[in-house]
Amino acid sequence: MKRLLQDLVRNRYLYSMAIPGIVFLVVFSYIPLAGHLLAFKNFQISRGIWGSDWAGLDNFRFFFSGKDWIHVTFNTLYLNVLFIIFEMIFALFIAIFLNEIRLKWFKRTVQSVVFLPYFISWVVVGYMTFILFNNTDGLINHLLKQLGLEPFNWYQTPWVWPIILTLTRIWKSAGYLSIILLAAIAGLSVDYYESARLDGATRLQQMKYITLPLLKPQIIILILLGVGRIFYGDFGMIYGIIGDNGILFPTTDVIDTYSYRALRQLGDFSMSSAIVLYQSVMGLIAVVSFNALIRKVDKDSRLF
Amino acid sequence: MNHPIVPVAPERKWRGGGLSERAVMPLIGLFLILFALACLFPFWLMVVNSFAGTRSLALNGYAIWPSELTLKSYRFLLQGKQMFTSYGVTATVTIAGTVAGLVVTALFAYVLAHPKNRYGGLLSFMTYVPMIFGSGLVGFYLLVVRWLHLKDTLWALVLPYIMNPFYAFIFVSFYRSLPHELNESATVDGANEWVIFFKIIRPISTPVIATIGLFYALQYWNDWWLSLLFVDNSDLYPLQLLLRQLMSQMQLTSLNHGNVLTLPPAEGVKLATVCLTIGPIIFVYPLVQKYFVKGLTLGSVKG
Repeated sequence: MKRLLQDLVRNRYLYSMAIPGIVFLVVFSYIPLAGHLLAFKNFQISRGIWGSDWAGLDNFRFFFSGKDWIHVTFNTLYLNVLFIIFEMIFALFIAIFLNEIRLKWFKRTVQSVVFLPYFISWVVVGYMTFILFNNTDGLINHLLKQLGLEPFNWYQTPWVWPIILTLTRIWKSAGYLSIILLAAIAGLSVDYYESARLDGATRLQQMKYITLPLLKPQIIILILLGVGRIFYGDFGMIYGIIGDNGILFPTTDVIDTYSYRALRQLGDFSMSSAIVLYQSVMGLIAVVSFNALIRKVDKDSRLF
Repeated sequence: MNHPIVPVAPERKWRGGGLSERAVMPLIGLFLILFALACLFPFWLMVVNSFAGTRSLALNGYAIWPSELTLKSYRFLLQGKQMFTSYGVTATVTIAGTVAGLVVTALFAYVLAHPKNRYGGLLSFMTYVPMIFGSGLVGFYLLVVRWLHLKDTLWALVLPYIMNPFYAFIFVSFYRSLPHELNESATVDGANEWVIFFKIIRPISTPVIATIGLFYALQYWNDWWLSLLFVDNSDLYPLQLLLRQLMSQMQLTSLNHGNVLTLPPAEGVKLATVCLTIGPIIFVYPLVQKYFVKGLTLGSVKG
């Protein structure tokens, strides 16, 4: 203990620099952990956290007795898997193809354009989606009418939305992901390509047999990061595009939007807390187990 | 084994694939062009329809090119107060948050990266854990609203994002790349760590500071999560929340089979609001794009 204090005092200038950071970290990342306690209590606002009665596992029993938890869990996982897969596919296409372009201005322009959607918030994307898919005024329904086809009731048809959401995710994220991949490609040794070309390999073969396999570590890291968050839905995206449109909840409601509504719209702190704890625990299990899986497959690619 | 003196062409290990070399490049180009156009198209629709006249919207809805163009929506918007109020909120939050975030995170990361720090491992671990095990919505909400009493304040929009573990780690890897001799020679001259940081380290870190600063700025400008949770007072609506509220009205009415003209306020005005919100981003984008690219590649390489 004395050595600790001695060290702190001797290097006080250094350690004092970390104080603001530590304060923010503790206040905003650690203190809120106390909220998890509410999952086991029957929260009443007037009595606060400490004054409210313990409710044991009642909140969880209530949550798991209904069918909602299955829907929102499934949606969260299903949508995240769709997003991870398709974002990666398109990002790979963009990165590998862009790498083949020799015309500098074309390469730079395309890169700038595909990166742009990353800078827009999901609320704005929600508008863009509305402009396209709106029942009465949307562009797509107008085009359908002009072609003599029946307009489609997009905003009241649940099953199309996983597709639409995946498309918007690709639109927004593929460019940004492709930049990371391009950086990795730029780091690959030219020698592989040289010897392949001497052996007569076509561009396509080079892309398929050299670039792609060598990107494997980078791809795995990105996928691992995505899977680590697999129990966390993209609240911004889903609430920004779907909002409170209950008709679409069966296919788009995720754990995050569900717990948000329980908290902000129903004022049910205990239930919301139980759902959030459930999510955090599952999320932790997901990260740890997927990391263990990766360690078995490819030792260098793990996170810890 | 026979070694012929006459050179023989190397044995072809790669068989030519289905498509010939000449077909591949145009297809690649086509894919890229199509994807790029798909990226631009929604922007075009929004900008163009923000200039659409009410008659055009009534007849054609959202069109690729409206039959009637007008500045009425923008004029209406700029005569009101809400736009300026929200712009003020967003700008204030962005500037304050970016500056504070940079200072706190850069200093913190410096300590994390410093060799003389004995608790670096512990601090790093403490910083990393919240990234995998979330502390949860309810605790966060209670903290800000009940324990810190920050509901409906600008603080609630700024403070939560100031210390960002991910950005901290980017700073850490940057600092680790700097030679320690810089510190040592200054220490010999009697300088303490604060002086070293501000007089020596900070001037060299300008590119990293610029990059992370832009990341912070973008996060604050686009954020609507904090205001969604903590702001009910329309005087404190940042731009994104304003957009969100306008749109939820729109969705509600459209569910009741209203069309564009029955939605208050007029549709063109909503689009004008959106355009003014993303306007600054679009204008600034060409200048700052390279910083984001560099930041992403830095961040991903160090993983």
